[in-house]
Amino acid sequence: MNIQFNKGALELCVLALLDRTDRYGYELVQKISEQITISEGSVYPLLRRLKKEDYVSTYLQESSEGPSRKYYMLTDKGREYLRVIIPEWRQFSNGVNHLIREGVGDE
Amino acid sequence: MNREQFLKKLNASLKKLPHEEQEDILEDFQEHFDIGKSEGKTEEEISKSLGSPSQIGKELLATHYLEKAGNDYSASNIFRAVWAVIGLGFFNLVIVLGPFVALLAIILAGWITGAAFIVSPLMVLINLAISPGTFEFFDLFFSIALTGLGLLIAIGMLYATRFIATGFVRYLNFNAKLVKGGLKHE
Repeated sequence: MNIQFNKGALELCVLALLDRTDRYGYELVQKISEQITISEGSVYPLLRRLKKEDYVSTYLQESSEGPSRKYYMLTDKGREYLRVIIPEWRQFSNGVNHLIREGVGDE
Repeated sequence: MNREQFLKKLNASLKKLPHEEQEDILEDFQEHFDIGKSEGKTEEEISKSLGSPSQIGKELLATHYLEKAGNDYSASNIFRAVWAVIGLGFFNLVIVLGPFVALLAIILAGWITGAAFIVSPLMVLINLAISPGTFEFFDLFFSIALTGLGLLIAIGMLYATRFIATGFVRYLNFNAKLVKGGLKHE
């Protein structure tokens, strides 16, 4: 499957993954690419944008293996935004699923 | 492509960003390579799944210019943002350049009309200088009325230009958010 999909979906994935725990970039990329094929590099531009928009903040933390890692943390503003876009996404995907059922039927 | 080639290409495509930001971006990718390697992947594997470094660079540039255009609607900022968004892919060439040229033409036409109306008394005077015999007061008064109308058009265009510029930058932002990708097959 190869469709143009909105970066909003990727943005939602990143914010959702950060809701309960802070994560480093590599970890986020791995989690997402387990589910969706993306060019993994595009997560980093997205993270920079989310930081500029104050949805996430970053801090460095030492790791047991090797150099310190940059962790991403959801800000209050980011959490608020996430709470707004989750129902929007559900509504959207329900709509698409409904149309598929109507057009193609359950397979 | 190994790590060094990847970072070199990425760096080359970030030349226009502020130096600090370039460093910061490269650090992120260095970290990505470091962790990937510690998990037993090769540099080639990592850079392959990261995707094209120049495409990543283009996305970062587009974000940068869009942010600048959003803060300051100057013509040069908007032109750069348009260019950067077009660079993201062929799809954008069609859906960005078309509307941009059309809007530009509308704005230009509006301004030229306004300007021509404003200077119309000058034309009457020039006409007077060239062929004094044909002078009529009606022309002069009519052209002065046109000047008034031209001033109104110019004021209207000031608002219209601003309005179109804001709207278009929003449209660019929307376009920059389209990304190629899909679901995994397994």
